[in-house]
Amino acid sequence: MNNSFNRTMRSFFLESGAEILKSFRAPEFILPTLLMPVAFYTLFATIVPMGPESAPYLLATYGVFAVMGPAIFGFGISVANERDKGWLALKRVSPATGGSYIAAKVLSTLIFASFSVASIYLVAGFAADVSFTRATWASLLMIHLFSVFPFILIGLSIGFLCNANAAVAVSNILFLSFSALGGLWIPIMVFPPAMQSFAHFLPTYHLSEIALAVSQTSGQGDISYHLLVIGVMTALLALSTALAWSKQRNS
Amino acid sequence: MLSSSDKSSRLVMTDVCKSYGTTQALNQLSLNIEKPGVYAILGHNGAGKTTLINCALGLEKISSGNMTTLGSKPGDIKAKLRTGVILQNSELPDLLTVNEQIELFASYYHTPFSVTEIIDKCDLGDFANKRYKGLSGGQKRRVQFALAVVGNPDLIFLDEPTTGLDIDARKTLWNVIREFANKGKTIILTTHYLEEAENLADRILIMKAGKIVSDTTPQKIHLEAKGSVIQCQTRLPQSSITSLPGVDSVSKKGKFLEIRSSDDTATLRELIAQDPQISSLTVSKPSLENFFAQIENSESAQ
Repeated sequence: MNNSFNRTMRSFFLESGAEILKSFRAPEFILPTLLMPVAFYTLFATIVPMGPESAPYLLATYGVFAVMGPAIFGFGISVANERDKGWLALKRVSPATGGSYIAAKVLSTLIFASFSVASIYLVAGFAADVSFTRATWASLLMIHLFSVFPFILIGLSIGFLCNANAAVAVSNILFLSFSALGGLWIPIMVFPPAMQSFAHFLPTYHLSEIALAVSQTSGQGDISYHLLVIGVMTALLALSTALAWSKQRNS
Repeated sequence: MLSSSDKSSRLVMTDVCKSYGTTQALNQLSLNIEKPGVYAILGHNGAGKTTLINCALGLEKISSGNMTTLGSKPGDIKAKLRTGVILQNSELPDLLTVNEQIELFASYYHTPFSVTEIIDKCDLGDFANKRYKGLSGGQKRRVQFALAVVGNPDLIFLDEPTTGLDIDARKTLWNVIREFANKGKTIILTTHYLEEAENLADRILIMKAGKIVSDTTPQKIHLEAKGSVIQCQTRLPQSSITSLPGVDSVSKKGKFLEIRSSDDTATLRELIAQDPQISSLTVSKPSLENFFAQIENSESAQ
C-alpha cells in the first residue's frame, strides 16, 4: 500500500516535471503567455494611465487576463497536439493514469499562472504605487489563481475536440474575445448596452467583477451573484469537458 | 469465463468479430498465442492487422466473440502492467530528451528496468541526452521500442515497427527485438515487409479480410514449398509456356516471366529447346513472397 503510494507520487512528480520542461522549452508558448499581460499592464497602468484609479482597477482585470493564457493555450493546444500525435493513445494503453496526466498539467499551469500574476503584482506594487492591505493582496491572489480552473476546462474541451491546427485558431479566438468582450482591457460600462448584456455570458466578466469587489476598487452589483454564476459556469464546463473526453476516447 | 489455459496464454481470441458500420475488420477470428517468441502478422493494408492489435490493447471494443490478453480483459490494468506497445503513427513529445521519456514511462510500471539498463539494451547511449525532435527516424523508433520494453513486459505489441526505416535502421531494430524474444518475451508485430517476417519471426500469421488465412513458420514455408520458381526472359508467348510439361502457373514480372513448375528439369529442357535465345535464366525455391502471392490469389479466386 505504502509502496504503491510512493510509486504513484513518484510518477506524478516525473509527469509534472515533464510538463514544466515541455512548457519551458517552448518559447513560442512561454513568451506571449508570460510577457503579454505584464507588458500591457505596465503600459496602461504606469506609462499611459487614464486616471489615478487605472492601476488598481486594471490589476484586478489583468490578473484574470494573466491566468487565462497559460490555461487556455497550455491545455487547448498541448492536449490537441499530443492527441494528434498519438501520444495520448500510447499513454492510454500504458499503465499510466489519465488523472495523473491532467493533474500534472494543472500543476504546471498553476505555476505559470503564478509567475504571470506575480509579475503584474510586482509592477503594481513597485511601479504603479498600488497599496492594498495584506489581506486584500491575499484574497486577490486567491481569486486570480482560482480563475485558472474554468479556463483549464475550456482548454481541455478544445484539446479533446479539435485537431492541432484548429486548436490554435479556436484558442486564440476565445482568448481574445473573452478578454475584450468580458471587460478585461476596457470596462464594459463604455460598451453599447447589447454588448454589456452579452458580457454576462462570459466567465471573464464575472471573475473580473469578483476581483474588483475583493480589491474594493469598483464592483458592480452583488458579489454573490457573480460567485453563483461562475460556480454554475464551472460546473457546466466540467460536464461538457467530461463529455468531450468520453467522445474522443470512443472515436 | 476464463479457462485455465486462458490464464497461461498471452493472447487468446475466439470467434472475434469487429465491424465498423458495414465493414467487417475482424471476421470470426480465432487465435491462441502461448509461448515466447516473435509472431509476425502479415497482410495488405486493410487486412485487419491494426484492428487486431487495438482490440488486444483495449483501445477498441470487439463486436462479438471472446478475447483475453494475459488472462485479463483487454485494457485491464493487470494486463497493461505486463504489456508494452509501439502504436502505428504514434510519436513522443518532441521537447523531452530520451532519458526523460524513459524515466517517466518506467515510473508507470511496478518492476521496470532501470533507465541505464534500457539505454544499454536498446543501444541509445549516443543520443540519450538529446531531445526527441532532433533524432533520426531510426533513432526515434528505437526510443519508442525502449518505451515498449522499459516496464519489463511479457507481451509486446509492435504495430509496423520498421515502416519507413532504411535497411540499416531496420536491421538494428531486428537485433534488439530478437534479443528480447530470446529472453522469454512474446512479441507480436505487424508488417508488410516479407523479409522482416522471414528473418525475424518464429511464427507467421497471414491475415486477409479480417481472418487468419495461414498460420505457419518460416521453416515450414521452405520445407513445404513444392517445386521451383523459374525466372527468364523469352520471346515465347505466355500461352505456349503454360502447356509445357510440369508448369503450374505463369506470371509476368516486369521484363521477366515467372514460371512455377513442379518438375523443373522437364520444364527447362522444353523451354530451352523451344527458345534457344532464352536469357536471364534463374531457378530458385519458392520464397515467402511466392507463398504469400499464392495465398492472396487462391483466396481471391474463391
